[in-house]
Amino acid sequence: MGADTEPGKEDRCQELAKSSSFHHRIYSEVEEIGWENLVKLGDDLTFLSFRVMDKNGRVHILELTLEKTYPNCPPSVAADVPYIFNLVWSMDSKLKDVVLQFQRHLEKLQEFWLTLDDIDKTLWIAVPKHLHSSLSCRLINIGDDCCIMLSLNAKDPRELPECRFLGSDAKVHHLRKKWRINGKRCMLPIDRIKDETFTDNLAKILDMPLPKPPNKQKNDNQIECGVCYAQYLPIDDELGANSGSGTDYTCENSNCSRAFHSVCLGDWLCSITTTRQSFDILFGNCPYCSNPVAVRIAGGK
Amino acid sequence: MTSPSPSSRKSLSKIACNRLQKELVEWELNPPAGFKHKVTDNLQRWVIEVNGAPGTLYAGETYQLQVDFPEHYPMEAPQVIFIPPAPLHPHIYSNGHICLDILYDSWSPAMTVSSICISILSMLSSSPAKQRPADNDRYVKNCRNGRSPKETRWWFHDDKV
Repeated sequence: MGADTEPGKEDRCQELAKSSSFHHRIYSEVEEIGWENLVKLGDDLTFLSFRVMDKNGRVHILELTLEKTYPNCPPSVAADVPYIFNLVWSMDSKLKDVVLQFQRHLEKLQEFWLTLDDIDKTLWIAVPKHLHSSLSCRLINIGDDCCIMLSLNAKDPRELPECRFLGSDAKVHHLRKKWRINGKRCMLPIDRIKDETFTDNLAKILDMPLPKPPNKQKNDNQIECGVCYAQYLPIDDELGANSGSGTDYTCENSNCSRAFHSVCLGDWLCSITTTRQSFDILFGNCPYCSNPVAVRIAGGK
Repeated sequence: MTSPSPSSRKSLSKIACNRLQKELVEWELNPPAGFKHKVTDNLQRWVIEVNGAPGTLYAGETYQLQVDFPEHYPMEAPQVIFIPPAPLHPHIYSNGHICLDILYDSWSPAMTVSSICISILSMLSSSPAKQRPADNDRYVKNCRNGRSPKETRWWFHDDKV
């Protein structure tokens, strides 16, 4: 009996020792990346997600799933990117190496996202309403009840994209013809030298001006104040003219674009010592992205 | 135990109330792992149960955080302390006060109760030893009159733990 339980106990001890060294390893590897970048941590530490910022200030979430045998086998990686990178993994690799490889991958994707930013800002996007960094498709309203479905090549966003036309037969036929004839000439690598944007090229190929996004799209975006979390300030005599007003200030960093009530942002800036004031304008930083912001002091009617 | 700090004795402003209700809803939909909000009808004082993360020095231990919100939250940070007995940690005093920059100088309205909780848990998780701060006795004696940690002038000298 005793001889039976002893090895069992030893196994259990070994198992515990193994799991404790696993935990230690993960904690010290998270430390290397920085706890402030950790978004989620699974209870048994086999799931981690990190916030990684690319050089244009876009924030990405990198999700890692670990086997209990980590680091003997590489973590599996998921992220909001159109295609994932091939993880290079050796016995000396650490989670930090995954983050570094992910950052290099993000570098490669910058042109792709810049192209999509151009499309999203200049054209009338029908679908998707909520843009996600991994999507390379856009359904674009080009007026006259016609839409085009563009799929960009994430590896080479300047390549002629795949395009499908939706609308009445006559119009679609006309557009297809234009696409066939002009498509080869535009979007050639030579256009990269000239400072032409993707959307300029697209308008040239289709040989028509493309409609701009309608203004109402602005209201679809986030409109709640990043300080008080409400769209409208409460009705309150203390707030004077601002009582009940909606958000009226947006962070100018296009990757942040947080909305604020200038009263709320101003109150916050007034309460910290790093804010500078010139006449009735406060100069400080966005609480979300630290981009410089400037707001007029509340009550300066 | 702990008397309310002078800043939180005044009742919440409408703006603070509204924001806290939204934070509470968000917390209920998506609570940070390892934490449990104890339901009360008091929006101005949250009591939160913290479970030490598995594999750390505090695994299997449970502590309670008391979060008091000032009248003008989120312009000001909430007051966050451990309800004694507080975990043994080089940055946590025996009276429950916590030396953590985001609770004082580095607070910003972009943070939430949930993000504070995650920071506190990571502070616990990276602790190398279960011990009190070197100046524990002196500090706790100075706080006997029920002083809020927000009135302490903190030194954030150690960014490793």
